[in-house]
Amino acid sequence: MQEKEKILEMEVCECGQKNVAQAIDIFQNTALPFKKAKKLVTECNKSCCRGVLIKLYDMNQYGRFDYDEIAYLIKQRHERLKRLSEGSSDEDE
Amino acid sequence: MKMNKDEQLLYDWLLWHNCIDENTKSCLDITRLDLSGRKLEELPENFGLLKNLLVLNLSNNRLSTLPESMRNLVKLSNLDIRRNRFEILPPVLQYMPLRSINACSNKLSDLSVLKQCLHIKVLDLSDNMLKSLDNCLAEENELRTLNIASNLCHDMSNVFEFLGNVERLNLSENLMKEIPSSIKGLLSIEELNVSYNHIEKIDDAFFDLDVQIIDLSSNLLRSLHLSSLVELEKLTLDDNPFRKLELDFSFAPYLREFSCDSCGLSEFLLPQSEALELLCYSSNEIEIIPQEIERYTKLQELDIDKNKISELPDSLANLSYLEILYIGENRLSEKAKKVITILDPDICDINMKTGISIDKAQENDLPQMAELLSVLFAIESDFTFDYDKQLSGITRLYEHESSDLLVAKYEENVIGMITMQRLISSAEGDYVGQIEDLVVHEEYRKMSVGSRLMNKMRNLALEHGYKRIQLAADVDNTNALQFYSRRGFKKTHLNIYHYNV
Repeated sequence: MQEKEKILEMEVCECGQKNVAQAIDIFQNTALPFKKAKKLVTECNKSCCRGVLIKLYDMNQYGRFDYDEIAYLIKQRHERLKRLSEGSSDEDE
Repeated sequence: MKMNKDEQLLYDWLLWHNCIDENTKSCLDITRLDLSGRKLEELPENFGLLKNLLVLNLSNNRLSTLPESMRNLVKLSNLDIRRNRFEILPPVLQYMPLRSINACSNKLSDLSVLKQCLHIKVLDLSDNMLKSLDNCLAEENELRTLNIASNLCHDMSNVFEFLGNVERLNLSENLMKEIPSSIKGLLSIEELNVSYNHIEKIDDAFFDLDVQIIDLSSNLLRSLHLSSLVELEKLTLDDNPFRKLELDFSFAPYLREFSCDSCGLSEFLLPQSEALELLCYSSNEIEIIPQEIERYTKLQELDIDKNKISELPDSLANLSYLEILYIGENRLSEKAKKVITILDPDICDINMKTGISIDKAQENDLPQMAELLSVLFAIESDFTFDYDKQLSGITRLYEHESSDLLVAKYEENVIGMITMQRLISSAEGDYVGQIEDLVVHEEYRKMSVGSRLMNKMRNLALEHGYKRIQLAADVDNTNALQFYSRRGFKKTHLNIYHYNV
């Protein structure tokens, strides 16, 4: 297991420039449903970090955080973004 | 029965990985096997000796191939290989009578074996590197559920004709630019998710589908004339840059949920269906809510926040089923606010207070906490409120090192609280947390304050390493009973007795 503190510091949303700890804090301090609470984190309508945030939101609802899962999802998202940028450069060729 | 050398080796390997115990007498006894999360890079060559295996979980490992001997697993129907390192769906799968494969989160780009897997009903290939599914599926497949979300597919036009039996299809987070005419091949479709693609164009054939749930959110749709889709019950169109969105009279007569958030709409569109229960037009440019909204007599949730609304029709107050209203960030007139007061929904964002904090109780919070217990004791017939006793009790709890006290505060006032005491459970053989005194001031209910208090306390229990949290609730307090069961608490068969010493 990675260190919890390191995972809490990982950036979860580039648009809103929030890390995991900040996102958890926002979800713990709102009564809004996910689609609205998400915008408090992202401060935008984009969906790039939706997958991670929905897991965090659900974990907050259930009161149990799986930090390894969060770290995995953030890593997966970065890999997907990399794949997409490679895919679009394939297309350009 | 004595095992031969190969069987013994495999048996010992399985024992070593803690996925069987010594009550399992031989490899042939094993029908279900969970080898998930063991950092496996390969399986033993003789893995195929598990001939009676029905269900196999290999998820969260580092596998990229499967041993050839697995062709002998002639009963295996469910295989989970998600979160591994497969680039090719292993050819050996063709020899197994598989009904379900979960292969999400690998690096798959080659699915050629699927043509030989005729009996698969559930297939999850999400989060891989698939650019196309062309020539991957057999004509006579039995697929019912297919998930290829989060791949790199541009074009599905040659695939839909092979998905005639599919009831649930998830194509979200791909790179599709259009929904082609071949979509008509989805003869059995019930749920279709094509969100988060780059769809600009939808063929007319789409509107003849007998689909019940569609998600088209986060695409690039600029113009759409919605018609037919006569079986449709839920439609999500959020985050599309519409310049023109029209609803035909024939469109979705049984529609229950319609969401069109963040679509640049200036007009509040009125779907024909009178069965609508959920209507979302959040974050648009809407100025006027039409009087005709009263036709939606079954409407339970209306989301029209972040628009340009100043007035509300009086008819809105007649929607007696409406429980949830999001209408914040508009420029509501005093008259419009009166309509909301008359409507009196259970949850309304403009009634919600922002700035309610959940923190550990401080010493100066204790008198207010004791006062707040009067609200709780008024409901619980077993107790009578006595401020001095309650203050004494709450102070002792505060001073006790194995207790946790949380308060919800608004503008420095305690408006909610919860406590937890550490107990030793002989059943659990460890510490458990006893939750008590969860109460929220009446004025601040329906703002999720109770949920936030409970969530934070569960986090504390987790940090303390408690094996369980438990509580008692008054049998007549139906709100509390519902609250706890919705949050995963299970009712026990125990009754609570007390005896005054």
